[in-house]
Amino acid sequence: MAETLATFRQMPLRHPRPRTAGFSAWCDRHFKWLLVAPAVVLILALSIYPLMFSLVVSFINYDFQVPGHAFVGLKNFERVVFDPVARWSLVLTALLSFSCVAIEFLLGLAIAMAMVKSFRGRGLVMSILIVPLFISPVIVGQAWTLLLQRPFGPTNYLLTQLLGQEVTISWLTERPWIYISLIIADVWQWTPFMFVILLAGLTSIPPNLYEAAELDGVDGWQAFTAITLPHLGPMILLAITFRLLDAIRLFDTIFIMTGGGPGTQTYTASYYLYTVGFTQFHLSQATAGSWLFLIFTAAVVTFLVRRLLKAEVA
Amino acid sequence: MNDRERRDFEAGLAQEVDALLRGEPTRRTFITRFGQMTGMLALSGPMLGAMTDWALAQAKLELADPSTPLGKAQALALAASIEGPTDGSAYRAVQAAKQYSGVTLSMTYEAGLQALDPRNFSGPMWEQLTGIKSNVVELSNPDQYSKAVAEHIAGSGAFDVLDISPAWTPSLADGGVIAPLDDYIKEYMNPADLEDYHPLYRALPTYKGKIWGFFDDGDMFALYYRKDIFEDPKLMAAYEAKFDKKLAVPTTWEDYAQVAQFITDQMAPNVYGAGHFRKAGSPGNQFDFLQQFRANGGQLFDDNMKAQLATPAGIKTLQNMIAANNASIPGNNELDAVSLWAAFLTGKVAMIYSWPPTGRMAANYSQTATAINFIPQSQIAGKVGYAVVPGNPEHATGFSKALSADSANPVAAYLFMQWVTSPPVSLARVMLPYALRDPYRLSHFKSELYADLFPGAKDYLRTLNNSANVGLLDPIMPGAQDYFLSLDRMATSVWAGADPQQALETAAAEWDATTERLGADSQKAFYVEFLKLPGSTADNTVEKLGQAVVID
Repeated sequence: MAETLATFRQMPLRHPRPRTAGFSAWCDRHFKWLLVAPAVVLILALSIYPLMFSLVVSFINYDFQVPGHAFVGLKNFERVVFDPVARWSLVLTALLSFSCVAIEFLLGLAIAMAMVKSFRGRGLVMSILIVPLFISPVIVGQAWTLLLQRPFGPTNYLLTQLLGQEVTISWLTERPWIYISLIIADVWQWTPFMFVILLAGLTSIPPNLYEAAELDGVDGWQAFTAITLPHLGPMILLAITFRLLDAIRLFDTIFIMTGGGPGTQTYTASYYLYTVGFTQFHLSQATAGSWLFLIFTAAVVTFLVRRLLKAEVA
Repeated sequence: MNDRERRDFEAGLAQEVDALLRGEPTRRTFITRFGQMTGMLALSGPMLGAMTDWALAQAKLELADPSTPLGKAQALALAASIEGPTDGSAYRAVQAAKQYSGVTLSMTYEAGLQALDPRNFSGPMWEQLTGIKSNVVELSNPDQYSKAVAEHIAGSGAFDVLDISPAWTPSLADGGVIAPLDDYIKEYMNPADLEDYHPLYRALPTYKGKIWGFFDDGDMFALYYRKDIFEDPKLMAAYEAKFDKKLAVPTTWEDYAQVAQFITDQMAPNVYGAGHFRKAGSPGNQFDFLQQFRANGGQLFDDNMKAQLATPAGIKTLQNMIAANNASIPGNNELDAVSLWAAFLTGKVAMIYSWPPTGRMAANYSQTATAINFIPQSQIAGKVGYAVVPGNPEHATGFSKALSADSANPVAAYLFMQWVTSPPVSLARVMLPYALRDPYRLSHFKSELYADLFPGAKDYLRTLNNSANVGLLDPIMPGAQDYFLSLDRMATSVWAGADPQQALETAAAEWDATTERLGADSQKAFYVEFLKLPGSTADNTVEKLGQAVVID
């Protein structure tokens, strides 16, 4: 290597570039910074600047119907806090997201338990099971609308045939069916997510633990509570955290299936912010609402991530 | 550089040299290639844009068979643009626009079917006539407002021609987003062409004494009903026996609910009396509420700009609407505009009121275009009658063409607007099977070519004209979106079981909050301007003003 270096030093420079030599040296000195610079610029331009700008917007008037951008203090936040629709949308977001995630977890766990052992056609069944994950939520919403909408959807007809009496449920306009419809659509699409993660967790549990338990005369339920659940704990927390973060942004299916109605009964936080910002054009109010929503979300995320980290340490 | 740094540097240099001699990538080659890649990425955006523009520019002018009514109308539009009459607005616009050959005009259009007209017909024809290219920017309906405002604030000059709802005219004019047309009209237009608008639509783009656009879409509700059902002798006899009056197309909302209930009682589950688009936001219940509320004598605001929704007129309106819902097809409250069309076209519903495309679809004319094949074939063609909606029909939204105040080519943009809305060109456009532009000029309503478009088209045109004679306009003032949203929420909550009085009070409170937010005095000034327009109230329709147009 030393020889090579010596040889190289004696080689004449074919293209002396005195004018750029300084620049090259500068590049060499700051090479690591040059490498990260594009990413930093992108993050600043696409994340930090909009975030800061949105913070500014939430304290000024930025309304397409009211000229000027006067400073209004906390007025935009006040409008959101005292808006009963905003409060309801937050409550509904919590109710729907927790309901969906709880059902998806239970179903996902049950399917994962059923699929953990190999059987004929398992690959095909798994492939079919995860198909909903790849479908756009807008399409899912449209598909469920077609299935449930009266008078054209087949759901009521099928239920009538099954139950032997006429079923006339207004799935998309009548409480509580409207919430059940939204939960069904969400559960149909996202249960496979839970299933995939939990199945990965189940397959990583050493089988010898179950063999030892069997030798000790432990029954299935005891094995589940004493072996499966403790080993699956971190994966469960991970799956629930990821899913909950996604569920609280519920928008697409609401937009397609109910349009927020009837009244404001299916306004989630995302749908409320969309309506205020892009139907009513009160951008500063929508921005203030987004910040408040972010704070609530951050609290949930922090709680879940701490639990996740604690589980990892344990 | 100390010894350690020197050792590190030389070690690093040696590694690089070895790599160079082995022909492996070095930091320098990495930086070079990274720079090349970044450059390519930077270039790819504009290149892709240019290729897309080129591909779109290849869209050819689609002309119908010259022997058809549409083909003849298109030929007439072309002749009027090339040969004249030389004082016609179309001819003058083309002649004046030729000097701007090579310019590209950006124009907003509602995404989907609406944009097919400038892409397939008016855009390519205008380019062939003048050399001016068109760049059609498709936007969702709310974005047609918000993008226009946002681009104006940014001063980007992104748009030249804006397709706007007339309800937005005051706020866009006051906000400096759109420019007045009066001077251009004086210079380029044949004033007789302004007189060719139906009186309801003529004044729509006028605000504070100036003209801010050209009205371009007669979105008038009309009643479409099954003639075969209303003329069924058995049903007629049964109706007369039950109500001691003849079965007829309803002219009051009470009659409407009664007739709908009667048909449902007699014919369900094969046919139901009526159907309505009642689903939230699709496109919303505000139009139906507003037309019935004002026909029932309701006033939107009092002198202090307090909302007057929670009044007997409001209660009566909701009660009538509930009665109509109860008499309608199961799932009525879940229907949107398209599924209502499907219910009517498949023969499940005896009466609907909706926008003018209903008549063209019922006759199976629209479905001749592949772009609109998501609508089922009509099973009721030849059986459909047309009538004015009971009371006063709503002119629901509509479109005006407006000139962007930030346009870099305002004259060329104006001339396109003048040409495309001129009588012969606009006639050809409202006759396109896939377009959702509806007749709005007197020459449209009286057109023999349009009357030949499908069986019954003459009656259809007469009904649209008569509807405009007694039609009501959506409130044209800032905050219209907020007011509309409150009405839609109110109505859908009532359909779901909320108490009508309480729902009306909630909506009124929301209206008051909107008015307060926008400034009560300012809103009052807008409202006073709106009340001057024909069609602002049931006592101020074109007919009541003695300006009704009669079509033979």
